[in-house]
Amino acid sequence: MEMTGRDRKLIWLGAAAWTAIAISVVLIFFVARTAQATMGGQLQRIFYLHVPAAWVAYLAFAIVFLASIAYLRTNDRRWDNLAHSSAEIGVLFLALVLITGPIWAHPVWGTWWQWDARLTSTLVTWLTYVGYLFIRNLTVEPRRAGRLAAVIGIVGLVNIPIVHFSVYWWRTLHPSGPTPANPVANSGLGAPELTAFFASLAAFTLLFAWLLSMRTRLGRLADRVDDLELQAVTRGPRQPAAHRREVVVT
Amino acid sequence: MSNLAWLFVAVMIVWIAIGAYLVSLSFRQRKLEARMAEISSSEDTA
Repeated sequence: MEMTGRDRKLIWLGAAAWTAIAISVVLIFFVARTAQATMGGQLQRIFYLHVPAAWVAYLAFAIVFLASIAYLRTNDRRWDNLAHSSAEIGVLFLALVLITGPIWAHPVWGTWWQWDARLTSTLVTWLTYVGYLFIRNLTVEPRRAGRLAAVIGIVGLVNIPIVHFSVYWWRTLHPSGPTPANPVANSGLGAPELTAFFASLAAFTLLFAWLLSMRTRLGRLADRVDDLELQAVTRGPRQPAAHRREVVVT
Repeated sequence: MSNLAWLFVAVMIVWIAIGAYLVSLSFRQRKLEARMAEISSSEDTA
């Protein structure tokens, strides 16, 4: 199969993402200093995967929100494909947040899970988007499923500010972390740690862009197959070539 | 289990999950390409 310009861009994006990941791994494990024992010591390095994974999930669900609005307004399948692809990746990364968080919490808090505001709202968000993916399989008509899912994709974004600000609005066990106004406050991070953190954030963002490009390409391919199948069904069995020639002659 | 061992587990889970997702994308793509080839060949032979 011939390589298109889009394929080349995808290869470059993948190369950039994996290079950034390699750099961030070095920074996380060899440049960032070990945290205090009260924060988990070596285990605190999970933070460099946990927070960027949460950021990617936020980004993915914001794209679901925008693409869902665009789909409901235009009825263009490309927007639905973008929303569906982004939701799938968002669910994956939020699942990683929900897994890595308790691994850190277990030795530090002495428990795997607390039904506090941050953890509960994150779980509710994850379940909302799992529902979004599930609902697409409930109906056989893709356009109907797309429109139904788009409504969930729009309403689902309400969860994101609740998750993000839950640590400020309610008393929670979860660390509050830095704020946009003061990125160093509450974090205990110095220059090496911030460098590792932002490198990891950039690497995860590039990885997300690459995964999203591949997933939307897959969606386009699925649409083409559906179109071809539909054409084959509506056209019915073809007439023999000889008969066709005869028709043309007459 | 030590903190370092838990860190290793967490890192492995992250990269195995992302790797598994990539494999699933590749699997789904191959399946669609095979279906497309099947439709094209059945149209050619008809």
